[in-house]
Amino acid sequence: MSKKRFRTALKTLLATLIMLIVIFPLYWMVITSFKTTDEVLLNTPTFLPMTFNTNAYHDVLTHYPVFRYLWNSLVVTAGIVFIQTATSILAAYGFSKGSFPGKNLVFVLVLGAMMIPIQVTFIPIYVLISRQGWLNSYIGLILPEAASAYSIFMLRQSFLAVDNSYLEAAEVDGLGRFRSIFQVLVPMCRPTVVTMVILAFINGWNAYFWPKMIITTDKARTIALGIADIRMSFLSMEALNMNQIMAASCIAALPILLLFLLFQRYILSGFSKAAMK
Amino acid sequence: MSVGIGKRLKARRSAFDFLCTVPALILFAIFTYYPIAELFRISLTDWNLSRATQNYVGLKNYEWLFAGRGWSQFISSLQITGLYTLGEVALTLIFGLTLAHVFDRMTRWFNFMRVAVIMPRYILVSSTSLVFMWLYNDMYGVFNYFLSLLGLSPVRWLTSRDTALLSLILFSGWRMGGYAMLIYLSAIKGISEQYLEAAEVDGANGWQKLIRIKLPLLAPTTLFLTVTTIVSSMKVFQQVDILTQGGPYKTTMVMVYQIYKLAFEDHRLDRASAEGFIFFLILLLFTAVTMRWSNRNVSYDA
Repeated sequence: MSKKRFRTALKTLLATLIMLIVIFPLYWMVITSFKTTDEVLLNTPTFLPMTFNTNAYHDVLTHYPVFRYLWNSLVVTAGIVFIQTATSILAAYGFSKGSFPGKNLVFVLVLGAMMIPIQVTFIPIYVLISRQGWLNSYIGLILPEAASAYSIFMLRQSFLAVDNSYLEAAEVDGLGRFRSIFQVLVPMCRPTVVTMVILAFINGWNAYFWPKMIITTDKARTIALGIADIRMSFLSMEALNMNQIMAASCIAALPILLLFLLFQRYILSGFSKAAMK
Repeated sequence: MSVGIGKRLKARRSAFDFLCTVPALILFAIFTYYPIAELFRISLTDWNLSRATQNYVGLKNYEWLFAGRGWSQFISSLQITGLYTLGEVALTLIFGLTLAHVFDRMTRWFNFMRVAVIMPRYILVSSTSLVFMWLYNDMYGVFNYFLSLLGLSPVRWLTSRDTALLSLILFSGWRMGGYAMLIYLSAIKGISEQYLEAAEVDGANGWQKLIRIKLPLLAPTTLFLTVTTIVSSMKVFQQVDILTQGGPYKTTMVMVYQIYKLAFEDHRLDRASAEGFIFFLILLLFTAVTMRWSNRNVSYDA
């Protein structure tokens, strides 16, 4: 018995140690942002800032349009999430509960889209977006990333598990087909829908590749791109201004961190579901 | 009569069902299928961004890629992407499996720790890339400080051609390890206790249980992680753009970054399109091969 307890204690200790190593970079990001430039450049790094100094936050917020970047990210992400949720729910209904000739063939086209990432097709999409005059615009950032085959697939799996009798009962009650999608199907699959929405939000906020292709001005520059550009603006003086770069990184990471902690149950369950396939 | 009404209702219903899929289909048509066709078309022209006109030149760009001056950079990018992918897959699986065995207790503290370990994957990649740039710093980076504590000489993590790619792989392993752990944990929970108990009765120790029973039963999970990691790491761009910009001496010039530079720095849309199309075929081939191989070699009963 005591041998077992010793092993448990040892395991807890080991696990705690590994966890500390894993989150160390995040800790380092936070404390560097509270250091002064002098302290950042010490030969022996300090593992707790000597004083919690907020100058770096002040500097980076006054010299760079960080709030503008955050706002841009919010608008673009909201746009992606809204369009993706609406189109995915409807399409997932069509491919699960719906029936029309050629359904399977059309569904294969949707799955096929997973094989063609934007990292392959960015040149023609760039040409298309620039011909519409949509470079450096919200709509240019939103539309190419609005549809997601993964979201459709995920929702379809969940809709398939709902018994047809619920939809039939809704019909008897005089609910139209369109309304029963949103008043019966979606509420019954709430956890999956919430997971899909959160993942769409995280992906939208994280998006870097496509914004990098079409954004050259601050007008629509998102935060993911913005903090990388803040760092580039310091050129070879990066180390001197590392506290500012880390302050910007913290500000940029905060919204998703909060979302993750708030909804971790959904996110975690969503992934174990994906792995079960 | 009533049969006719039923038929019409049915037709209306299937029209409605089809219409539901149309918005998504339109987006895929415009932003996925049209571009891939257009990519191939551009690859047959001589279009570059400094010129307004484009002429059909046949397979000239493919000739440049396979038999001309583009070949050496193409093959080297392919190798680097392959190495990076191999490294990320290996680290993700090893970290994932190890962490899954360390963090498998069901107490509140372990629950909290699991969430902490998964976090790196969900924090803005720009932020975490910038932190690693700082940790990897030659002069002031804390990694080199740790090495000096151990009496080791500093490593030029991102600026030496021997270590830059490895440093990128380490960063990705750090990001993905917790996620892989989560996937493994949910799979391990699904393994019937009977198998493990039976093995214990037969006198199997921890290692034997892992190698003989758990690993084979976890094969579908390992495959899932391998395929998804391959597909995502072959497209790697952001870490490279922030941490190394393809350098030093092009030792981290992965495929997507190389195509991006060709298109927007050299303004050669034609050549970039040709390389992009070949890259697409490689991605397709890879996914198809792993899928086929897995259907034959992995058993899904557990």
